[in-house]
Amino acid sequence: MIRLENITVRFDRFTALDDISVQVNEGEFFTFLGPSGCGKTTTLRVIAGFIQPAAGRVMVRGRDITGVPIEERNIGIVFQSYALFPTMTVRDNIAFGLKIKKLPAAQIRDRVADIASKVDLSSDQLGKAVSQLSGGQQQRVAIARALVTEPAIICMDEPLSNLDAKLRVQLRNELKHMQQKFGITTIYVTHDQEEALTLSDRIAVFNKGVIEQVGTPNEVYNHSKTQFVCNFIGDINRLAEETCALMQLDPAKAHYIRLERVPVNPQPDARMALLRGTIKSREYYGMYIKYTVQTPQQAVRSIVRNDGISIYEPGQEVSLGLNPLNVMSYPLDEEESP
Amino acid sequence: MRTGTRWLKPANIFRLFGFGLFIYLFLGFMVLPNWNTLTQIFNTTVKTVDPATGLETVRRDPWAVIRFFFAGNMGKYVLNSLKLGVFLVVTVNIVGISIVLLTEYFDIRGARILRLGYMTTLIYSGVALVTGYLFLYDNNGILTTALVNAYPGMDKNWFSGFNAVMFTMTFACTSNHMLFLRNAIRSIDYNTVEAARNLGARPMKVLWKVVFPTLIPTLFSLTVMTFITGLCAMSAPTLLGYDSINPEIVRLAGSSIADEAFPQARAALLSIILALFTIILLTVLSAYERRGHYLSVSKTKARLVKQKIHNPVANALAHVYAYALFIIYMTPVVMIIIFSFQTYSAIRMKTLDLGNWTLLNYFGQADYSYLTSRGTYRVREGAVSGVFSNADTLGGIRTSFILSAIAAAAACVIVVVAVNYIFKRKKTGALVEYALLFPWLLPTILICYSYRTYFNSSDVWYVGNTNLYYMHNVRLLIIIAYTVTKLPFSLRMIKAAYYAIDDELEDAARNLGAGGLTTMLRVKLPIILPSVLAVFALNFNALFTEYDMSATFASSYGTTYAMVMQSMTREEGLYGFNVNASGRRAASTVFIMLLSGLVLYLVYGVGARDLGERLALRGKRRARRAKWAARLLPRKKAAGGSR
Repeated sequence: MIRLENITVRFDRFTALDDISVQVNEGEFFTFLGPSGCGKTTTLRVIAGFIQPAAGRVMVRGRDITGVPIEERNIGIVFQSYALFPTMTVRDNIAFGLKIKKLPAAQIRDRVADIASKVDLSSDQLGKAVSQLSGGQQQRVAIARALVTEPAIICMDEPLSNLDAKLRVQLRNELKHMQQKFGITTIYVTHDQEEALTLSDRIAVFNKGVIEQVGTPNEVYNHSKTQFVCNFIGDINRLAEETCALMQLDPAKAHYIRLERVPVNPQPDARMALLRGTIKSREYYGMYIKYTVQTPQQAVRSIVRNDGISIYEPGQEVSLGLNPLNVMSYPLDEEESP
Repeated sequence: MRTGTRWLKPANIFRLFGFGLFIYLFLGFMVLPNWNTLTQIFNTTVKTVDPATGLETVRRDPWAVIRFFFAGNMGKYVLNSLKLGVFLVVTVNIVGISIVLLTEYFDIRGARILRLGYMTTLIYSGVALVTGYLFLYDNNGILTTALVNAYPGMDKNWFSGFNAVMFTMTFACTSNHMLFLRNAIRSIDYNTVEAARNLGARPMKVLWKVVFPTLIPTLFSLTVMTFITGLCAMSAPTLLGYDSINPEIVRLAGSSIADEAFPQARAALLSIILALFTIILLTVLSAYERRGHYLSVSKTKARLVKQKIHNPVANALAHVYAYALFIIYMTPVVMIIIFSFQTYSAIRMKTLDLGNWTLLNYFGQADYSYLTSRGTYRVREGAVSGVFSNADTLGGIRTSFILSAIAAAAACVIVVVAVNYIFKRKKTGALVEYALLFPWLLPTILICYSYRTYFNSSDVWYVGNTNLYYMHNVRLLIIIAYTVTKLPFSLRMIKAAYYAIDDELEDAARNLGAGGLTTMLRVKLPIILPSVLAVFALNFNALFTEYDMSATFASSYGTTYAMVMQSMTREEGLYGFNVNASGRRAASTVFIMLLSGLVLYLVYGVGARDLGERLALRGKRRARRAKWAARLLPRKKAAGGSR
């Protein structure tokens, strides 16, 4: 569907994207994930045509669109700020692209009404100014405006970042539902790993202008290919030299274990290395409790389900179980190498 | 070949044409006329007579004017202007800061009414304000007469010269404080005030240590602008009699070489001196602005809550001071309104005749009979006439209205197109920006003087060898001068509005298929339109009552409102003509105040509403109509039923 081939983008001397290649399949919900300044929005803008790459090609359904003007690409965008035109009503915002294409008025009216009903916007809301709508309604207008021109692909640039936590979760689900309903290929940009993991069919993890890993949420979480990916996605313990020695792990590598794979006071298991320590701190999350346990080797964090019974107090002695099978190992970084 | 056809795209041709036009206007109407003025100084010729032969020779003496400057009394004008500038900075800031604090920071009773009073200078300014003050405080002004009657020992000429100019300009120049300092104080994050109070600071300490530092950038700009206003003052010194630079330039510009030594070159030298001061001050201002401002880092700004003055004595004094200022601001306005409905005899006698009101100063005509020196009565037909019946007054208003509207609109159009370009092209855009700011470096009077001298010739090829200072052409010259002088202000304001446009809006429009022009007209322009209209209104109001340019271009073909006002001040009742000139002047001032007020209301009140507010108001109107219809309908139904 979309194939980015060896894309490089430079801003003066700064290389924003360094020879990246990635393929997005038809109907897929594909997420660009990474920290601020890693190049994910730049990649999106290259696809949309706002940025011309210094090298490489953008292919859509086998056609090279690298030099095609923005307005002829047929790619819809939902912007981070939604970019709704403040001087137009909701109806005029949605109809803007159709009017530019000079469609007959009756057709514009029908298509606007049709898309509005699909994204749950009432006819009353269509007559309002965008400033009179809530954040969630504004997001739906932005999606309707992007979809009404029937684009081949829709790109979303952190569309949930301006919303409060509760609304973000609610709209995240709606977004996924809508994408499935329209069946449209979607490229989604976010720095929020939870959003990426819950929404995406596949994820590309960006770091410093390169793609570190492309995979399903399960692959990037459980089988992170690089130290950066395993650190960026989810919470993780890096095992200290003493712990590695106890577990007989290769000292020439960096070893990590996710918090939920470190049980507190586990059932005896021959494969597990046991570390004894005292609870240093406790963070209460409702469904889960996160403990930091100070062992003679290192401080280890663990997250366990809150069953309402086994709740440990700071200062209490506990044991932690570390299973080598759950350890993710990577070659040491250049600066860490002896 | 392919590159050639690409170049012929309509957008490129349009851009090229635009650039060509811009360069033509910049060189032709900003650079060349002013350069001509500068060179005039060094093209002075002097006549010398050989004592031996008695032969007269004429030779060029580039330094003659400079020597004249140091030898004669020209320096007096410069010193007087500097003195006015310095004193005004002090008085305008004291009054300006006070009125803003009293209406926006402290909790003063009746603050809304006070604010309206303090804001009257927005609709009542320029020559109208000066003549209004003259009407009250002149040696035979209404208030002076009343005061002299009450205190016979009082000097009836108190309102003249430096004191009168200072008094008038102090209150006339606080408009910018009410516009800009008010905005600055309203944008203060109240949480910072609360934080300071929470940390133990007393209210005055908070004002001094927390509030004032955030106002300093605005105050600095206002101080520089006030100083420049004082330096370039024109209408007040001319009408109130104070020897400063600008009136002298206008006098010299109209003088001939037969009357005095090289008047044009002297006028040019004074203009250049003004320009130098302006350039230095604006350089200081821009250097200061580049240092950066105090910006609130708060993401959730709290709205400023007015501070109560807890000390009862201080609170009472603050109220007395606030209302004393209110009286000073409002007295001329109220008096002008009242006296615009008084008969000419009441105005002449400087008494309020409550039993005799008239609309004659506005509408209609009346004859005037007077006793001649021969002891016979003579009737001057139509000598008493209203604003809308007097051809001269109405003509002046009409001329000013048309010229100001065209120039205010032209400045906005030029700046909107230019700003769109400036934001798109950083490097060439900067050149365009500097070109548009160029008139700010030159005092208005220099530009007008340069136009008057340079275009008063049929040899300027790029205007088709047409004398622009001849007959009706002078109106075009006034429009060009009005437009050019309003470009820098328009640029600063509209550029600031442009910053508010989210880049993503332009991206969104382009993504939805809109080209550059469609994006500009349908997305960006509607967003900045309230600001553009506000700039238009401020430009229009300022130009409508401006005096400096009208005086420089004084011509029977370009008699503006300001010139009509001035002539009304001078020719009242001479030989039985213009008998009610004072009353008509008051009426025309009321008319201008209404017009300016209406423009400001339409722009700031109606034009500034966003779409949401407009739709909400429309919804309310619909609901009100439906309510009335529902009330009326049952009655109709009932009437129909009974039938």
